[in-house]
Amino acid sequence: MERKHVVLYVILLLLGTKMWASTITVCKTCPIKTIKEGIARAADFDTILIKKGTYHEFNIRITKPLTLIGEDYPIIDGQEQGEIIQIAANNVTIEGVFIKNVGTSYTSDYAAIRVIRSEDFLIQNVKLEKLFFGIYLEKSKNGKVLNNKIVGDAKDEYNSGNGIQLWHSQNIIVANNSVQRVRDGIYLEFSDDILIENNYSANNLRYGLHFMFSNDDIYKGNTFENNGAGVAVMFSKRIKMLGNTFRKNWGTASFGMLLKEINDAEIYGNTFEENTVGISIEGSNRIDYKNNDFIRNGWAIKVRGACYANTITNNNFLYNSFDLAYNSNLNDNIFEGNYWSSYTGYDLNRDGIGDVPFRPVKLFSYIVNRTPETIILLRSLFMDIIDFSEKVSPVFTPDNLVDAKPLMKKNK
Amino acid sequence: MKKYFIPTILLLILTSCSIKPQPIDYGSDACYYCSMTIVDRQHAAQIVTEKGKAFKFDATECMMNHLNDINSNEIALFLVNDYSNPGVLINATKAFYLISEGIPSPMGEYLTAFGAKEGVEEAMLIHEGDQLNWEQLKLRFEY
Repeated sequence: MERKHVVLYVILLLLGTKMWASTITVCKTCPIKTIKEGIARAADFDTILIKKGTYHEFNIRITKPLTLIGEDYPIIDGQEQGEIIQIAANNVTIEGVFIKNVGTSYTSDYAAIRVIRSEDFLIQNVKLEKLFFGIYLEKSKNGKVLNNKIVGDAKDEYNSGNGIQLWHSQNIIVANNSVQRVRDGIYLEFSDDILIENNYSANNLRYGLHFMFSNDDIYKGNTFENNGAGVAVMFSKRIKMLGNTFRKNWGTASFGMLLKEINDAEIYGNTFEENTVGISIEGSNRIDYKNNDFIRNGWAIKVRGACYANTITNNNFLYNSFDLAYNSNLNDNIFEGNYWSSYTGYDLNRDGIGDVPFRPVKLFSYIVNRTPETIILLRSLFMDIIDFSEKVSPVFTPDNLVDAKPLMKKNK
Repeated sequence: MKKYFIPTILLLILTSCSIKPQPIDYGSDACYYCSMTIVDRQHAAQIVTEKGKAFKFDATECMMNHLNDINSNEIALFLVNDYSNPGVLINATKAFYLISEGIPSPMGEYLTAFGAKEGVEEAMLIHEGDQLNWEQLKLRFEY
């Protein structure tokens, strides 16, 4: 009996030691001087601690579950040779390193960190500079990309990649990252069930965030500033866009958000401020716009093609040059209970709702759509006169496009 | 101020209707077909009508799709980027085309144009793929 216990205890003890992962330290004066060597010597689930210093390494491949932690941001310098870290195993964590000088090439998309067909990865507190692609996730699942800082130099370098790219990936959280000066800040292609939250994406060459063929994703609380254009959502279904800020996307082809071939989306509580076009919409159906603020945009909403069954309720349209422009039929779209700063009606019965309906499409916006050059006549007396006459007796603008319940006070 | 007025008017008159390609302002111009900002200097395309109006595209496939929607008899020039010389527009009807998974193009058709036969053959050595000429490309896009 006694003996059995001792044997069992010893066996457990032996098992136990296998369960504790050991830590391997890498530094310039340690026995192990390179990250690659550290990875080669590590057993599954070990931790590799990288001390401060500069490591000239590239093509670091991780093919077993490991945790790489940098102390005081050690620098991994790829010297423009190609890809720097490749993760091809489940349960890999990369934390607290500074990676720079990814190779650029016209023929392959080198990334600072690439995750290939892996699950349960975590990439956090990593800084990336001088990159081509930053963090590239391909065919991976259940991972997290948190608190990373990516700064490219795409301002004058057109041959540049995207900051965080997801390709054929599912169920990933991308949160609290800052991405600047790359082509697209965050790019999703064929990626479903992704949460993109509280990121700051600014000064990027093309888009702050870009969806292609991706469904059931949520992006909320992000800020998109001064990108070529804010966010492009294309050919995707059931995307939720909540509480984001789209600011200062100025330029001939610039917009806060572009929706193209999007169905069943929810757009709640976003702020579109000072953009050439707040939202540009084409071929998008069954979209619910609620509690958004459109402030000082050129066009708050510009509809460029067939859009069916959209509801636009309880939004604030404040001081936009054009609240709404369209160039085709707006079909069974409902406008109700919005606040329009250009509404001039009265509320004699004091129920908070204007007594006459508001028509958001001005005759002038109709003319500008036909002949874009006429924009030069904006704010001219003649245009004010024809807009006024159209308001009194609508002839050109669609009769059924009205907000029957324009609010007298802003939506909170 | 006044002395610039007449030259400006003349310039406008003389430049507005000549049939020639317009330079693409990468990073600012948008694709006429898909509205995306044009950034890729190796895949952009352009058509110019008989009246001298230019339409720019972010990818050859967008140009081909657009040609499906319009009367192409009014088009004077068809232009595509030469993959081997980023930013250079070449005659699309004389270009060599490659469809290869190895070279992604902006709108997902993996379609790339080359000015020289050597260029396309070099790319074929690196990546597998199908070579096409303009006529075959038109057939593929049913235009």
